[in-house]
Amino acid sequence: MKSVVTTVIAAADAAGRFPSTSDLESVQGSIQRSAARLEAAEKLAANLDAVAKEAYDACIKKYPYLNNEGEANSNDTFKAKCQRDVKHYMRLLQYCLVVGGTGPLDEWGIAGQREVYRALGLPTAPYVEALSFARNRGCSPRDMSAQALTEYNALLDYAINSLS
Amino acid sequence: MDKRFFNFFNLTEDQAIALLDTPHDQISENDSRYIAASHLVNCPTERSIDALIRAVQQTDPVLANRIVRRKSVETLGRLQAVQALPIIHECLQDDDCYMVENAAWAIGEIGTQNAAILETVAQLLDKPGQTHRVIIHTLAKSNYEPALERIRRFTDNPDLPTASAAITAVCRLTGEHSQMTKVVGMLQNPNVLARRLSIQDLIDSRYYDAIPSIAKCPVSLVFRLRGIRMLAEAGISTGTLTFGTVQPHLEQSLRDHPNDLGLVHAYEHPPTLPVLIQELYETDFGRCYLACKTILEHYADAAPDALFATYADEARSDYGAHFHVMKLFGWLKHAPAYELLIEALHNKQPQFQKSRAAAAIALAELGDERAIPELKTCLNTRIWDLKYATLMALEQLGDSSGYEQAVNDEDWLIREKANAMLAIAH
Repeated sequence: MKSVVTTVIAAADAAGRFPSTSDLESVQGSIQRSAARLEAAEKLAANLDAVAKEAYDACIKKYPYLNNEGEANSNDTFKAKCQRDVKHYMRLLQYCLVVGGTGPLDEWGIAGQREVYRALGLPTAPYVEALSFARNRGCSPRDMSAQALTEYNALLDYAINSLS
Repeated sequence: MDKRFFNFFNLTEDQAIALLDTPHDQISENDSRYIAASHLVNCPTERSIDALIRAVQQTDPVLANRIVRRKSVETLGRLQAVQALPIIHECLQDDDCYMVENAAWAIGEIGTQNAAILETVAQLLDKPGQTHRVIIHTLAKSNYEPALERIRRFTDNPDLPTASAAITAVCRLTGEHSQMTKVVGMLQNPNVLARRLSIQDLIDSRYYDAIPSIAKCPVSLVFRLRGIRMLAEAGISTGTLTFGTVQPHLEQSLRDHPNDLGLVHAYEHPPTLPVLIQELYETDFGRCYLACKTILEHYADAAPDALFATYADEARSDYGAHFHVMKLFGWLKHAPAYELLIEALHNKQPQFQKSRAAAAIALAELGDERAIPELKTCLNTRIWDLKYATLMALEQLGDSSGYEQAVNDEDWLIREKANAMLAIAH
């Protein structure tokens, strides 16, 4: 599992050296932000179902053409697809908050997943739209502290960017 | 190519072009240029291609615009828009690695022998931070031999899917098969993406010897069936394979019993039933199959109630767990699930498509002959795996009346299966 700490140590070890000053600064930075990350992780874990549901509900409301009747365009199609996958990405994102790096998303959600979506002709737009909603929905101090929200939003941006 | 999800947003071509041409900072809150760029895959017209090219030319680096540019390049690739090659060539120099990935992929889809373009793609192999796997795919697909030695350097890459693509590319460019067993070995890797992606490489290299191993690979049967079908198509057309050699592996995959898979995970101790039921929702199907196997071995009596409960609660709207619930009712031979299986057999929502074939197999396990006329209606669909599973189910239920219709089916695999069954019957 990649994190700032494991990346720094792996790089130092590969070069047969001690971590440099800038390596230690990046570890220090990660540790300083850990309280905010863990706060965001705790809030997200407690509200995962609500956050995912709100994201896809809002997305359907926002894009009325997602609501049309028909086998491939129906409301339920979008909802079920989106609900399952948004929850999956939110869980990986929560792991990233705990780890303090993008390793869980990179390893389990992105690397190769883009290829799978392309090969099978699966739409990325529902995830991108739902995660974008979640990105714009978070509010401080209502949902979490400003620092925690910054950490959470940075990872949502990362997920949106790398899935699209 | 499965196009079930392409027409997802029900936009018209005019609406999509108008959205795409709207500057991103003027787009209404109720609209999305990203969706418009995705939707135009349904419109192989000059107008749409021109609109997509205009979208690629809008280079504002904000995230909302960046993702539209990338998606536009992908759509141009799917439309095989040769006229877009010059601008896609420029995108290979982009700072955004995902844009570069999509551009390299689109060049492979469009297909070109333009040496300048292919050399730019090859030079990306020396650039760190790129999706080298996709770059290697495009070079191999384009048969660009000047990149061979540069690709060979990736055959020991620590990133397994990249190494797998490189080994496959060397095989395609030189005919050297010696390393392909490494790619076959990745079918049993603990990482689900390594397993899924190695199937793609085995397809690309026409490595027919891998078919039995693909049939045992613990990923969703969608990946296994796609791999076996594509290899069968290629091998039978050249006379290298016969339907008879592929048939047992294809049917093993369609039947999809967890005991027929080489599982890559293990439990230290069997978990409780609620934990196992929750495992059915995992996105790594390797873990779901382990849970199914454990449920069958340790909780066969208690499982039906738990399966009905999780179906009512969440699985009816979760296409992964839905599939496993249907399969388990079949393996458990649980007669009270008959109505639920019939409903799944006829469920037309596209994300539940694989549950239809699963329900056909499960209904045969129940041994209830009432299912025969219900199953036969599935022979009129255009879904090959459902039709094939239906023929297998009818065979198990002792009904052969569907063969005459199936020998004239539009799908060659269905015709082969029906002919094979008729040959046995006579």
